[in-house]
Amino acid sequence: MPLSKKRIGIVCPYGWDTPGGVQSHIRDLAEYLIRQGHYVSVLAPAIEDEDLPEYVTSAGRPIAIPYNGAVARVLFGPIAFSRVRQWLTNGKFDVIHLHEPAIPSISLLACWAAEGPMVGTFHAAAKRQKVTFAVAPFLEPVIEKLGARIAVSEAARETLTEHLDTDAIVVPNGIYASQYRNGSLDSRWTGNTIGFIGRFEEPRKGLDILVAALPVIALAIPDIKVFIAGPGDSEAVLKNIDPSLRHRFTFLGRISEHDKADFLASVGLYIAPNTGGESFGIILAEALAAGASVVASDIPAFDSLLGHGKYGTLFESENPNDLSQKVIGLLNDPVARRAIAERGKLYAQEFDWDVVAEKIYDVYEMAMVGGSGVTLSSENRAWNKFLGRQSQ
Amino acid sequence: MKYLSAIFFIALAAWYLSYSATRLDRLHTRVETSWANLDGLLQRRAAIAIEIARSEISDPASSLLLTFAAHQAREASVRDRSQAETGLSGALGILLASSDEVTGANEKDLLRELAELTEKIRMAISMHVDAVTRTQLVRRKWINRVFRLAGTAPLPVTYEFEADIL
Repeated sequence: MPLSKKRIGIVCPYGWDTPGGVQSHIRDLAEYLIRQGHYVSVLAPAIEDEDLPEYVTSAGRPIAIPYNGAVARVLFGPIAFSRVRQWLTNGKFDVIHLHEPAIPSISLLACWAAEGPMVGTFHAAAKRQKVTFAVAPFLEPVIEKLGARIAVSEAARETLTEHLDTDAIVVPNGIYASQYRNGSLDSRWTGNTIGFIGRFEEPRKGLDILVAALPVIALAIPDIKVFIAGPGDSEAVLKNIDPSLRHRFTFLGRISEHDKADFLASVGLYIAPNTGGESFGIILAEALAAGASVVASDIPAFDSLLGHGKYGTLFESENPNDLSQKVIGLLNDPVARRAIAERGKLYAQEFDWDVVAEKIYDVYEMAMVGGSGVTLSSENRAWNKFLGRQSQ
Repeated sequence: MKYLSAIFFIALAAWYLSYSATRLDRLHTRVETSWANLDGLLQRRAAIAIEIARSEISDPASSLLLTFAAHQAREASVRDRSQAETGLSGALGILLASSDEVTGANEKDLLRELAELTEKIRMAISMHVDAVTRTQLVRRKWINRVFRLAGTAPLPVTYEFEADIL
């Protein structure tokens, strides 16, 4: 890839030590770029400073605030701001990459404080919200400093166009496709089985929809079994399931990356009944890469990820009847099921980090044209001078 | 008290003016960067087009057409640039439509390079168009027009590019 090694700064808006899609995306990207020989520094809020990887700098303890229907661990305030400026000054970056610069966290602060080649990535997809329109006049002058913006999906891009009136290049989230490519069939999970991975207690993951669809499926496919992987309290969920159906459910708890590949390769169908709140659907990309036949709700993120039904089957979101029809249809037609899974597996290679990171680096290169590196913005330099602080 | 509030108001107005000017200046820089980027990529494409014209991929007739289009794209003024580049896209498109039977390793390399470049040009166009639209939008604001904060910087023009025939 690169002939010249660059100094790249990445800002993560959410607490590094809490699991999340944005965090793992940044971790994989940073590690990929480091392997390519670049110098990478990630600035992120963190609860514990000790266990951080070498390339992560802590910006302080995150604050939990309710945001967009979930709890977001973000960070702002004067101390965080001064750390951001310090990081920018010390880093002498050629380019900085800000994730989610439109939410109140350190990415926004960095965007405000810096000047020079900047790239922003927008992950979230949200419905039209009045509040975003109210803050848009304040956000726009800051966001417009970004030389290039990336959206992780068509849904995220639409959100951006709608709320902040600006366009973005779509570069999907990355997966390590090679980890999933060669999952082996495990007889525990093969046959007429349904797989589900995720924090099943969260209503937006839609396990309820699958539970509601199961009675009809069980009538048509008597040996149907459901395997659920992911952290959570399975007792509480089982209690709400009809006693005659309970024996069909198996909770596997959290599974390892290695088991995940086998699991996805083995199950008859992988089901994602999410009711919303998804922007990309990384698990679907992984399922496709492993060769699973996918059935997903037709929320915008999944609809675009699955190519409007070309690489997986879509059902009407929050409609258990439609889900059960689609599942029965596919389980009774192994030929069609295999065909769609084959197509999906081939298509999922596009999400491999080798492809995705190259695209992101292309965007960096474009933002860096003629640039002389990232500096503090002139306002901040003037302010420092006024206070008698030297920026070096 | 009256003086104090007057001073405060003047200071605020001065700050806002300088802030708006900085904002505009940044946007103009962004337009220049994205244009430099797009221009560089398009120049490279023209160079590749000429190489393709000289290679075994193209027959004499399409060679002629391609060379002509590439030179036109290179020499076009800013005003005629997009039309010339669209012409080159068209010429390349005709050639690529029949490029399935290309065999030589060198030729395959050329075509792969062209495909990669096309992808980058697509991104560069979207970045440039966004920068231009934003700048035009901000320049239309009354404060920037009344106080001539843009100075002598020319109003950036939208680059019309037929992305679909790239």
